[in-house]
Amino acid sequence: METNILHTHKDLVEKCKSGDRKSQYQLYELYIDAMYNVSFRLLGKKEDAEDIVQDSFVDAFKKLKTFRYESTFGSWLKRIVINKSINHLKLKKIPISPIGQYEYKITEEKSEPLQTFDINKIKNGIKMLPQGYQQIINLYLIEGYDHKEISEISGISISTSKSQYHRAKKKLIEIVNTL
Amino acid sequence: MDDLEKHIQKNRHLFDEYKADRQKIWQNIESDLDASKIIYLWNLSGIKIAATILILVGAFSMISLFITSRFDQTQQNQVANQELNDIDTYYKSLVSFQVQLVKNNPKLQPKEKKEFLSFMDELDEEYNILKLEMSKNLNNEYILEAIVKNYKKRIELIENLLEQINDSKNSNDNEGYIL
Repeated sequence: METNILHTHKDLVEKCKSGDRKSQYQLYELYIDAMYNVSFRLLGKKEDAEDIVQDSFVDAFKKLKTFRYESTFGSWLKRIVINKSINHLKLKKIPISPIGQYEYKITEEKSEPLQTFDINKIKNGIKMLPQGYQQIINLYLIEGYDHKEISEISGISISTSKSQYHRAKKKLIEIVNTL
Repeated sequence: MDDLEKHIQKNRHLFDEYKADRQKIWQNIESDLDASKIIYLWNLSGIKIAATILILVGAFSMISLFITSRFDQTQQNQVANQELNDIDTYYKSLVSFQVQLVKNNPKLQPKEKKEFLSFMDELDEEYNILKLEMSKNLNNEYILEAIVKNYKKRIELIENLLEQINDSKNSNDNEGYIL
């Protein structure tokens, strides 16, 4: 299944490499919503997300010749979108991972159990988190990156990523339980 | 992985809640791609134009350098020619004057005159050859020197001849006085 998807897209990607506008639009149609959501979740603003997604697609089409199918096109493109979004946040001087008061606490605190599994409540809970926490929750839980990848993307250490994630998750559960 | 993480992973697709303005974003992407294409072409043609200008400037300066040097050379040649002409006319008039003197001299026998003038003809021939050489190579100082020497020789010969005639005339006069 995975290889099939990879191959189907390979034809399209190859056509895009030669600058075929129709194929570029097809590829865009396939990925625009997913990419827009990725960017929106990180930036929290429609206009910013639109700008970043637009910029990412333009960059991706320009750099497509360097794409060697070492991953799926989707994950390659997603990485571009995420990198651009993070850079945008850095430019706006929004901390990617706020240094909390428990930064150097190594032992993991026990989280209280989640009382509801309502996805809407979880989504709202994430939106209520401080922006740094939102980003780490998004990158780890929703985008599915591991701490090593997050450390590369955000320029923080793996241990910071881990501790920040645990604090963010604890906070999220607290919020969701109150909703 | 705890329950929250599992739950979110299972329902990841539900987090893609935003809808992108597909048309608007695509229009921007397209115009960006077109613009970069134009810039790329412009850069290409810019390089070409720059190269053409460079070649043209190079060729023009080469040609102008050549023309100027030719012009300089012709100017130099003109100056040298003028100089040569001046020398030529000066000596020519001198020689022809003296030749006339010899021709008109009543004291000389026609045989003597003929003999002497044949010398002059020989030198005339030499002079013509030298002048031909001179037109081939104006910068040849040796030839110029030879031409002048040729004239001087003629003048010397004529002067000697005239001197001899005068001497004999004087001696005749003296004889007259003696008598």
